[in-house]
Amino acid sequence: MNEVISTTGLTKVYGRVLAVNDLSLSVKKGEIFGFLGPNGAGKTTTIRMLLGMVSPTSGRCFVLGKRISAGSTALWNDVGYIVETPHSYPELTVRENLEIVCSLRGIENKSRVEWIMGKLKLNRYACIKARHLSTGNAQRLGIAKALIHRPKVLILDEPANGLDPEGIIEVRELLRGLAKDFGVTILVSSHRLDEISRMATNIAIIHQGRLIKELDAKRLEQELKKSLVIGGKDKAAMASVITKAGYKVKMSREVATDIPLDLRIDDKDALENPEAIVTLLVNAGHPPNLVRIEKEDLEAYFIRTIKEAGGNYYE
Amino acid sequence: MNNTFISFLAECKKFFRSKVPLVTMLAVIIIPFIGGFFMLILKDPKLAQRMGIISAKAQIMGTADWPSYLGLLAQAVSIGGLIIFGFVASWIFGREYSDRTIKDLLALPISRSSIVMSKFLLVFVWCVILSAFVFVLGLVVGDVVDIPGKGEGILQEGLTVFVVCSLLTILLSTPVALFASIGRGYLSPFGFMIFTVVLAQIVAAAGYGHLFPWSVPALASGAAGSDAAVLETASVIIVLITSMFGLIGTMLWWRYADQN
Repeated sequence: MNEVISTTGLTKVYGRVLAVNDLSLSVKKGEIFGFLGPNGAGKTTTIRMLLGMVSPTSGRCFVLGKRISAGSTALWNDVGYIVETPHSYPELTVRENLEIVCSLRGIENKSRVEWIMGKLKLNRYACIKARHLSTGNAQRLGIAKALIHRPKVLILDEPANGLDPEGIIEVRELLRGLAKDFGVTILVSSHRLDEISRMATNIAIIHQGRLIKELDAKRLEQELKKSLVIGGKDKAAMASVITKAGYKVKMSREVATDIPLDLRIDDKDALENPEAIVTLLVNAGHPPNLVRIEKEDLEAYFIRTIKEAGGNYYE
Repeated sequence: MNNTFISFLAECKKFFRSKVPLVTMLAVIIIPFIGGFFMLILKDPKLAQRMGIISAKAQIMGTADWPSYLGLLAQAVSIGGLIIFGFVASWIFGREYSDRTIKDLLALPISRSSIVMSKFLLVFVWCVILSAFVFVLGLVVGDVVDIPGKGEGILQEGLTVFVVCSLLTILLSTPVALFASIGRGYLSPFGFMIFTVVLAQIVAAAGYGHLFPWSVPALASGAAGSDAAVLETASVIIVLITSMFGLIGTMLWWRYADQN
């Protein structure tokens, strides 16, 4: 069975609010599926439906070939999850919280607690009550609870929330390793494309409950807009030369002073042969002092995608 | 190991590491001491005169003897138990929502029904322990105060009434759990508990207490006078139906309601 997580026409309506709208997803074995969207896009509602915590208004979801419902208990042996900010029992220590998860998941191997604390660097905090943990360590404890039973499927809602940069890298490497070495299938939600793009093999972008883009990492690379950025002394004259040669050129200006900053060309021909533009300018007596190819930043791509789908990132 | 038992052990760990057992134990300790204090006053009328308002209240208990004293304990557990046992149930269920740990219990290899059952089992076990503690401590306090008229038959009868009242009161904690689950925390069940305690007094005063589940334990304890301390089968059935409503309602809520 290749398809590990799938949804078909998944829809959830709360009163008049359409939280998830006809969402169909497919996540295959060993994939790290980045589930992206701004806050309130419907990511958490989708995850709750995948975990049987919320019933869909219509549509279905499957994990490991089994249709999800609140009663599908055996299935959760193979699924680890985080929904929103993880919380633990405040009066219990880190070790005790993990021991409780172990017992509820029927894990008899007691060394598993030490193993997962080692993986998540929680050993130092083993005897600290959960209420005294920092946000980052509380997040680590949440991830530890999701991984302690070595699940085949991980469904993680914003797992990097509250982690410091070092922690983000550690968790990213841990998840990559699980997918690569153990074939664990991971669905990970985030509102940050840069974070997701560093580990995801596939990406889906959701906005206002609707899937607006689904692509793999290779395709994402191709979809990022590229521009040839050119600088020089007389930018107006350089723009004129380039335009006369048949290229479309845009001049970026400083917002406050309207002073020209650089010239940008998006033509495929110019991007493939930047030396032709340089020759053109040199021959016209306007040698450039800056030539570089600039790739669209991931956040800009994310916002552009949402806008192209008729949405507003800030809505 | 049975799933409900596994979950019960986990619930015990969470419960006994919290302050709730201590708080509820301290709350019930007061009951026998207050009863003993009343008996002491009743035994010594001169001291009762000096006590002013407290002695006036103490006279309500009647005479200083073991039947009155044991009746007082049964009344206290019937009325006070609604609050204390209700608090235990509201904490065991409501804390999962207040501490936002509920989501960790919803997608486990253990069914939600087993988890709910284990929580109810803990409510039952702890409330039985509290009740037993009140009765045993009550016996010690009664002996220390040297209440007259102790006899095996009296103790046996007092114990029977006390056990019945305790069990009826414990059974009524299931709707509190339902309110804690629907209200997602402590506030709704507290409001519900206060509402039922107040309403129980009004309904009992109106003469319909035997039909109102939250009045039944107090009536069975003789709170409305020893003549009224007759437990009708219909009243027991009403309490059982109310308890089943709370139990099944909570299970259905955990099973079918959206857990956002």
